[in-house]
Amino acid sequence: MINLGEIAPGFTLQDQFAREISLDQFNGRRHVMLLFYPLDFTPT
Amino acid sequence: MEALLDRFRAANTQVLGVSIDSIYCHANWAKSLGGISFPLLSDFNPKGAVAGSYGLYLDDAGIDDRATVILDADGVVHHASSVTPSGQRDISELAALCEKVNEGHENTLKSFPGPPGLEDDTVLFVRSNCMFSTNAMAALGNLHIGTIPVRNVTDDEAALDELVAVSGKAQAPCLVVGNNARHEAADIITYLAGRVSEL
Repeated sequence: MINLGEIAPGFTLQDQFAREISLDQFNGRRHVMLLFYPLDFTPT
Repeated sequence: MEALLDRFRAANTQVLGVSIDSIYCHANWAKSLGGISFPLLSDFNPKGAVAGSYGLYLDDAGIDDRATVILDADGVVHHASSVTPSGQRDISELAALCEKVNEGHENTLKSFPGPPGLEDDTVLFVRSNCMFSTNAMAALGNLHIGTIPVRNVTDDEAALDELVAVSGKAQAPCLVVGNNARHEAADIITYLAGRVSEL
């Protein structure tokens, strides 16, 4: 698991609205909470 | 999670879900839960690559761990924890952590541009038993859009005539905004998200 204090790796992925979402776009504007989960149709 | 979004927004925190599912699977699952408006990201190709870069891809099972990472607006990791795939997150505990990260940041963050909202004369035409219409309807559910008229042209000749009059053809789904007609489901969905989503 990633260590505290590290800079999080960047990424660009598509979302359920077919938008390209980049971690970069929140830089300086919003904090980010990433919820990793195994599979859809299981509890988030 | 969706019910607590306002608390995360108040803490200037963007919530992003990540799994190896496709964007179509995400959209249908989200709709089945009553609508999820925050981004569910598809870490699909190459499978699990982003989770892997955070050390959260479970190679043996071929899935992501159920894990949470909180970053401040500079990208610095403040919290990382796993509840294992079968475990359950404590969302209000995570909200408290985000509020703590936000302390002292309130005045240093740049503003995030808000969505412009829907035009008044927006109409969605759909067809029964059409996968693309179903996808467009799922987006309405996920974005909690209840205000625009939805016309099903399958059994409604007046709606079909109207669709042909405004778009030049009988193809649905079709999103009409004033004189502009969009026929591609992906275009329709991305347009709607861009008009109303605060992410």
